[in-house]
Amino acid sequence: MSRQMQLEDRAMEVALGLAEEQEAQDFETLAERDAEAAAALARARARLEALDETAAPETLPADMWARISARLDAPLPEADLAEMAPEFDAETVTLLPAPAATRRPAPRGWVLAACSGLAASVVLALALVWSLVTGPEPVVIAVLINDAGEAVALVEGSETNLTRVTLLGPTPVPEGQVMQVWTKPDAEGPPVSLGLLAQNRGSALAVEGLPPPGPDQLYEITFEQAGGSPTGLPTGPIHGKGLAKEPL
Amino acid sequence: MSELAQRIEACARGDRAALRAVMETEGPRLLGIALRMLRRRDLAEDAVQESFVALWRKAHQYDASRGAARGWLTTILRNQCLTMLRRESWEIASDAESLERRQDEEIVMEAYGRLDMNSDLRRCLDRLEPPKRLAILQAYVLGYTHGEISGRIRAPLGSVKAWVRRGLVALRECLS
Repeated sequence: MSRQMQLEDRAMEVALGLAEEQEAQDFETLAERDAEAAAALARARARLEALDETAAPETLPADMWARISARLDAPLPEADLAEMAPEFDAETVTLLPAPAATRRPAPRGWVLAACSGLAASVVLALALVWSLVTGPEPVVIAVLINDAGEAVALVEGSETNLTRVTLLGPTPVPEGQVMQVWTKPDAEGPPVSLGLLAQNRGSALAVEGLPPPGPDQLYEITFEQAGGSPTGLPTGPIHGKGLAKEPL
Repeated sequence: MSELAQRIEACARGDRAALRAVMETEGPRLLGIALRMLRRRDLAEDAVQESFVALWRKAHQYDASRGAARGWLTTILRNQCLTMLRRESWEIASDAESLERRQDEEIVMEAYGRLDMNSDLRRCLDRLEPPKRLAILQAYVLGYTHGEISGRIRAPLGSVKAWVRRGLVALRECLS
């Protein structure tokens, strides 16, 4: 049997869904670098796709978009995070938990006290202690300040742009809106979204394709419509912003 | 380039509005395919949801020169459904098996019946011996494994693999 025929038949088995999982993966890997295999797979799928058209379309549930966007905003599973950025200790997240907007903030009075007024230096010191006790520090830390001069969030960025956001005190998120975190990798360029804070809580956000963050890089949080800014650029009011510093 | 392909490229640039537009135009079709494979609406909705998450993450891999966007998206969905079907924690319920077998056959024959009589796929499937045709349809439409096919027709796995492969070769030759 010629190689071509063999490829065609293996591709048919993969397209049909009958190939063993490993076999299917191997073939797809092969197709990524072998144009003939890729073409065979594309042909096999095209031969069978008329069968997909015989399934009657079904109405999507009304919340499908909300479900999808929630998944996009959710922090990656811990296993993935560990793989991507071992420099973050998972336990650090419990040090300064962000109370949800609806939760009573009373037990966190000390956090509020520490952060009311322009207490950024206190927070920064706290952050440094924190990183000292929990392992290698992030490459940048920014304290985001609101219009009233209060520290509202602590942002830590790693080399790979895994960004940990810790909210400092309750956040008055307008009904139906969500907090979106932005940065400007290039001071002259447009802000880039780092992700949404699901359930309006602090979170670790992973984003690919950005250069490692550096000193004086701008971070900010805006309030955006559910699902995030429709334009890909900040459109809502700024909750807080700040420039990154390198921890010593 | 198709509108869908353009939207996938926009997804690769981080445009969520484009993803939502793809969901609105392609979602119902994908949910129909998923429901037919997974049989349960909650699982089918999960499959569609995860497929759009995968689309978002893989959008940068989409290469318009390597095939139509619609097929690319269908493949993501089908792979998601197959993964769910193969997952050990959830298998096609084995109780009320005879009832289910009848339903399965109905689903498969309905899919077959809806194929355009003049289409190459219909014409070539028609040429196969009925058991091979059924097996191929069960695999594609319902995501059956070789094992499930052999269980349903009570034939040894080895011989089922061999004759399904022969059926597939015949189908491919007819379609080429």
